[in-house]
Amino acid sequence: MAQVIDDFARTIQLDELWSDPYPIYRTLRENQPVAWVPAANRYLLTRHSDIAYLEKHPEIFSAAETHSLMIRVMGLTMLRQDGADHLRERKAAEPALRPRMVKQRWTPAFQRIADELIDGFRDRGEADLFTEFAAPMAAKCLAAVLGLADVPAQDLQTWSQAMMDGTGNYADDPVVWQRAESAARGVERAVDAAIERLSAHPDDSVISAMLHAEDPLTPRQIRDNIKLFIGGGLNEPRDATTVGTYALLTHPEQRARVEADPSRFKDVFEETVRWVAPIGMYPRQTTMETELGGTVLPAGAKLGIVLASANRDESVFDNPDTFDIDRTGRVHLAFGGGPHFCLGTWTARAQVGAVALPTLFRRLPGLRLSGAEPVRWGGWVFRGLLNLPARWDV
Amino acid sequence: MPKIVYVQPDGTETALDVDAGTTVMRAALAAGVQGIVAECGGNAMCATCHVYTDPSDSDRLPAVGDDEDEMLDCTAGAREDGSRLSCQLPITEAMEGLAVRVPREQV
Repeated sequence: MAQVIDDFARTIQLDELWSDPYPIYRTLRENQPVAWVPAANRYLLTRHSDIAYLEKHPEIFSAAETHSLMIRVMGLTMLRQDGADHLRERKAAEPALRPRMVKQRWTPAFQRIADELIDGFRDRGEADLFTEFAAPMAAKCLAAVLGLADVPAQDLQTWSQAMMDGTGNYADDPVVWQRAESAARGVERAVDAAIERLSAHPDDSVISAMLHAEDPLTPRQIRDNIKLFIGGGLNEPRDATTVGTYALLTHPEQRARVEADPSRFKDVFEETVRWVAPIGMYPRQTTMETELGGTVLPAGAKLGIVLASANRDESVFDNPDTFDIDRTGRVHLAFGGGPHFCLGTWTARAQVGAVALPTLFRRLPGLRLSGAEPVRWGGWVFRGLLNLPARWDV
Repeated sequence: MPKIVYVQPDGTETALDVDAGTTVMRAALAAGVQGIVAECGGNAMCATCHVYTDPSDSDRLPAVGDDEDEMLDCTAGAREDGSRLSCQLPITEAMEGLAVRVPREQV
């Protein structure tokens, strides 16, 4: 039996994970919750309990991965450091992203952005809400929060994708490296212009917070961390917006209750990121030999922490594959945990749960899938919808 | 080693002898006390280690800081007079016998 299971992990292909990882994760959770998966060149951790344990023990499970492609693309960011170095950079950014700032400063800005985008296409009665709403909304909101409001949304989207492709360029494709490096240079130029402006005139943005922190970050640290925020802060709210919209459009009974009581969009957001975690997997590396889930991991072992699987763990969630806004006791791991707990959590809750989703359903009456073409899903490290063709009444 | 008592919504009590220097949150996690989630690991950023203290104990607890005050407005269980984030309560000898109630809703 052990042999058969071992063989299963060895047969997993990345394109299968990309198409639909969930049946694969279920088999791994049941049989080999910490499995060496050659195609990913990592041990994949798939059970909620093992991941919750890992997140409480950063001294064993380090974020400072060796030979990290993220470091090659972005430089050394807070996401690939541990301990005091990580905390110093994180704390510098934090004032711009705390809940009170998000509520008072950013939520009204997010609302203006959502309304302007919807004004642009509402009379047409149809749109692909991925390309015309969720993606530009995420980019414009991110630009505002970072302190790059004058950077075109399309540039941010292009840079984000190019850097993300670079961090996943295990095939060593030179064209991908070239695009990622060019994106990184673009971000650096934009950040340098912002630093010049914000040095003399501080505001509420992330770059300004980093510049004027009690222990200010250097220009290089600001540039590299902003690359991280652009690479990793755009697709998640975008994907939570499209997946949350799709979920309500395909669950009419829940949609009716949410439209009758918009305070429940908060639950829609949490259940959306549980159901399809925008960040499906993140890397860690062991600092010492340790045992987890019945597997002995050597020191220096590369791990893939599969949040997408933890969020579908049947030992924690009843009917885990079902979208259900009535779940109580939100213990999903979509935002990770421990020292690297998502810094954008409160921003995402506001942007998607308080603004994007309620505004779409309020302003587009009779919103429905267009049926002209099927919706498509993709991804496992990052997962979401690839389109969202929709219609409404005009 | 002060004793800290964690009281669940159903009245079940867990008494822990805790080293000074840790926090009410960390001691709970280490002992597996139900209902203390502590997603962010003690950074006052997640509001999932909320506990209720008796307001009469406020003299022997540190004052509520700005970040903690902000997060206490984001808790799942209603904020009350004695609401605290247990990650912001470092254990001191003065806290001997402190009782904290775990809220029914943490997340």
